[in-house]
Amino acid sequence: MRRKAIFIIPLVFIFAFATAAPAKTKLKFFYPVGVAGPLVKVINGMVEKFEKENPDIDIEPVYAGNYNQTMQKVQTAVLGGNPPDIAVVEISELFSLLQMDSLIPLDEYIQQEGGQTFLDDYYKGFLGNAYGRDGKIYGFPFQRSTPILYWNKDMFQAAGDKLKAAGLDPDRPPKNWNELEEYAKILTIQEGNQTKQYGLIIPGGWNDWIFEAFSRQNGSQLLKEDGLTVTFDTPENLQALQLWVKLMQDLKVCPVLRPWNITPDDFIGGVTAMMYYSTGGMAKIRKTAKFNWGAAFQPAGKQYGTPVGGGDFHIFKGIPKENQDAAWKFAKFMTTPEMAAHWSIESGYVAVNKKSYDLQNMKEFLQQFPQMTVARNQLEYAYPKMMAVNYQLIRNAMTTNLDGALEGKKSPEQALADAQKLMEQAIKGQ
Amino acid sequence: MREKLEQYRAYLFLIPGLFFLLLFTYLPILWSTWLSFNRWNLLSPKPKFAGWENFIKLWHHDVFWLVMKNTFFFVTISIFPTMFLALVFAILIDERMKGRVYYIYSLFYPTLIPMAAAAMLWVYIYSPNLGILNLLLAKLGFPKLGWLGSSATSLWALILMTFWKNLGFFMLIYLAGLQNVDRELYEAAYIDGAGWWRRHIQITFPLVGPTSLFVLVTAIILTFRVFDQIHLMTEGGPGNSSNVIVYYIYENGFKFFDWGQATSLTTILVCILLTLTLIIFGIFGKRITYTAD
Repeated sequence: MRRKAIFIIPLVFIFAFATAAPAKTKLKFFYPVGVAGPLVKVINGMVEKFEKENPDIDIEPVYAGNYNQTMQKVQTAVLGGNPPDIAVVEISELFSLLQMDSLIPLDEYIQQEGGQTFLDDYYKGFLGNAYGRDGKIYGFPFQRSTPILYWNKDMFQAAGDKLKAAGLDPDRPPKNWNELEEYAKILTIQEGNQTKQYGLIIPGGWNDWIFEAFSRQNGSQLLKEDGLTVTFDTPENLQALQLWVKLMQDLKVCPVLRPWNITPDDFIGGVTAMMYYSTGGMAKIRKTAKFNWGAAFQPAGKQYGTPVGGGDFHIFKGIPKENQDAAWKFAKFMTTPEMAAHWSIESGYVAVNKKSYDLQNMKEFLQQFPQMTVARNQLEYAYPKMMAVNYQLIRNAMTTNLDGALEGKKSPEQALADAQKLMEQAIKGQ
Repeated sequence: MREKLEQYRAYLFLIPGLFFLLLFTYLPILWSTWLSFNRWNLLSPKPKFAGWENFIKLWHHDVFWLVMKNTFFFVTISIFPTMFLALVFAILIDERMKGRVYYIYSLFYPTLIPMAAAAMLWVYIYSPNLGILNLLLAKLGFPKLGWLGSSATSLWALILMTFWKNLGFFMLIYLAGLQNVDRELYEAAYIDGAGWWRRHIQITFPLVGPTSLFVLVTAIILTFRVFDQIHLMTEGGPGNSSNVIVYYIYENGFKFFDWGQATSLTTILVCILLTLTLIIFGIFGKRITYTAD
């Protein structure tokens, strides 16, 4: 009898403690970092702040690599029956996640917050990639961007005489494709067989994204909004690709396929006078560039135009209801005016919440760094980014063929036709 | 009677090992071979028998042939120089040169570095403007190369890095193999007037035969399965120029979520490795000299 008691007493204690302590909701949160810069620290700091305000919720932030790797990790986890509670993935992936029936719609939560009036606080341009084909909302904007043109003002000044001689203004960046080419030519410095300074970098890795922008600027697109009709091989897109090939292969004013992550280092290191890059990389440039630099709209073709970019929050199926509720709480917290402003200042992404821009600290910050308003203002010309099931396969078809054309291994015509064919196959699942 | 019992006992002892081998090696091979004849991807999420469809698709896919070409290129270009230099270094170190410990350390330390860390290190070495390799090239007056960012050099860059990583490992195996060579043979040859090269070509090379066989098979299997550095350094790019079979399997399985295609590639890889291993053991296995007489 006494022996039994020895076992039972500790059990009673354990049970008592277990029930007395408030049960914490534990959330697994997968997120990517898609630009150069130490953003993991920023996210972890925001998570800590949320946990302090919500002691009953415990968040385990999992840095899952770049966008591709994060999507792979999420998909594998979903298939393994062990989905994260909340994750940020690249916005084009939504249809794949829906195909796997892995997400819950957020409409009910949004209704509770006030429905349309609540949504109106967020930039409409960033909600275009949030809806499924059923009209329900499955994503909530978080780290959102557009690509912009960064330019090194000092280099423009140094080449001032030459620029003026060519009828170009050294005090402003190029405004259209023709000017882009002219500026890039003059700003390239060649010494023997070494290029001392490039006029321009259009980085590889995400060149499909930048290419989508060029396509929009020329009045075309890569894939229709239905996610089914491929329009990669159009005369407008051919023109855009021919321009790229000219810049890289004929004029050699832009290096071929400069890796995405080191391109900001090239800009900071004075290797190039201009670069196309996400606004999300701006904090790094702001903190480390030792020269005067500017940011501008991407030069126009027939018109200004760009896809939006970045990642949205998604809440997953197959987890307890209280986890989903807590996940929504977290998503909402991360996009309050204060937090969205903090995130924007620390990273360079656009604050998704319009009210962020009314905050005093944000106003002061923008006064100091007006470059930070460029991507937001460019939203006026922004379109939703392309979305399709099997997006990873489609993206692979695009980058592989763009790479082939830019390295001069394929004609632009061939590259567009090949990509078009592969994309159509991917969509049909052949 | 007693012998029979002994035999049964042997089987009894083999059971635990066999059980795990079956569970984690043979069953998955059979299962994935079966799956390779199924259509199973994101758009048709239940495996459905489809005959040779996956293999026919591969046959008509340019990327598959490029990947096979890259794989064989990677294997042949990387293993022979690695084996040869590993043996030469092993001989040099074995001959009690001064400071041999430092040489062993400096050759072997890349093997000890985790592949992920080594890959990141080399990403910086290969960095087009700030990387040490291009700075060196520029100093010597050569044009800078794109290394990982160019389809002309990406595979070579990976081969060089893999060579650096594996050399020490194979050198150590050779060094161990050399300890089995009878020293008297060298002395006898020396007295007979054989020079350094002659001694090694006629004594060392044949007598490390068993080690070489082991190194060859290990190297082939290791390089066929190369994955980490590719995933971390190039993701198979640009334009699939550094894509090899295992990375392509991974891409199909975990990026494109086409498991039918991924398993059909796995089946092909298993067949290739099995054939190669059988051929190598068939040709060399019987001819190898294990002793001096």
